[in-house]
Amino acid sequence: MAPSDEELVEAFQQGDRSAFDALVHRWDRKIQGAIYRIMGSDEEVRDLCQEAFLKAFRGLGTFKREARFSSWLYQIALNVCRDRLRRRKGRTLVSLDEVDDSPAALAKGPTALELVESRSLAQVVARAMDTLPPEQREVVILKEYQGLTFPEIAEVLDVPVSTVKTRLYRGLDMLRHRLERQGVGRRAAVPAASS
Amino acid sequence: MLCSLIRDDLLEVLYDDASAATAARVEEHLAVCPSCRDDMASLRDLRRDLGTWTVPPSLDTAARPAPRRPGARAWLGAMAAGLVLSLGAAFGLSGSELSYDNGTLAFRLGRGPAEVDVERLLAEQEERHRREIRALADSQAPTPLREARDDDALLRQVEQMIRESEARQATLLSASLGDLSTRAEAQRRYDLARVSAGLSYLDGKTGEQVARTTELMGYVLQAAQER
Repeated sequence: MAPSDEELVEAFQQGDRSAFDALVHRWDRKIQGAIYRIMGSDEEVRDLCQEAFLKAFRGLGTFKREARFSSWLYQIALNVCRDRLRRRKGRTLVSLDEVDDSPAALAKGPTALELVESRSLAQVVARAMDTLPPEQREVVILKEYQGLTFPEIAEVLDVPVSTVKTRLYRGLDMLRHRLERQGVGRRAAVPAASS
Repeated sequence: MLCSLIRDDLLEVLYDDASAATAARVEEHLAVCPSCRDDMASLRDLRRDLGTWTVPPSLDTAARPAPRRPGARAWLGAMAAGLVLSLGAAFGLSGSELSYDNGTLAFRLGRGPAEVDVERLLAEQEERHRREIRALADSQAPTPLREARDDDALLRQVEQMIRESEARQATLLSASLGDLSTRAEAQRRYDLARVSAGLSYLDGKTGEQVARTTELMGYVLQAAQER
């Protein structure tokens, strides 16, 4: 039976460095997935994932096992992403008339080639997700794609469960309207004739 | 029950996180509330749509190696091929390495975490770079024009200076070309991003137009039937 995260953390703190390797192997794909969706592209995923695990490696020696290791790791990954997104916002670019070419949009948007090659629903979803406020996007990603429970998300974000649910509902509602505006969803259908 | 009070429970049911009691309460409410029933159906549809956004194959598990046995040294080969970042290189000075390749993050630790003195490593690295820069500058310094004993010696000195000058120019030209290439690539990426932003905008406009047209057609159909 594979050791639990907590057992591996304890082993690492007692000097077994291979325990960290096992933790990385267990969690890196999930962390990569979260980072990919938060950042909206795969360009920086490996870089940010590496940064997150490096921070985890540095902090694991003093990690207090009151919280779950996974929650702590997601916290680190989210902070790494937030830092990078903040830096993106700091960039200044020449704007175009009529076109949303804000630094965030430019940095997160797919390339022209990707747009031409793929106009799939997934692209529409990714773009809609990109428009959510960060706190809602994080909750949607942690719930919808990472499969965390509500208490786990609350632990990661350090907010009450009720706040998690409120953000999730608002995020889903906003996504629903964004997709409808793109012609995806129930309300895009022709309205039924009343009798 | 008020719809706003059932919303949290509705989310738990939506994600299969609800207890039996909560699920029953939601079920009971949905049976009598068309608005919440519609909301729930709409959210289920949305979840299906959201499910289409998958992680790209480059980050998928399919290409990942099998789990390593604890204590096995098989990862040493992968580490040798991995891309070690500058910080990882700093760790490498202490015998530790951080590498990443084919979706695998691997650590080789020469010393314990408490022993890793990043400041010292960085200082050593900086000193090494300074030495390299000094050596490079010395190697490119022009040869001083010594007093020539005869014309042949003077000629050899001049030829030597010309060769050194040519070598310096070639180095500068190579560096300039490299810089130009980098700038051109950056410009290309920026242009592509601008084009993609424009396409995104147009794509959104088109979607809105289609939705509006569809809605109008619905109203026309409705009006025709009423008439």
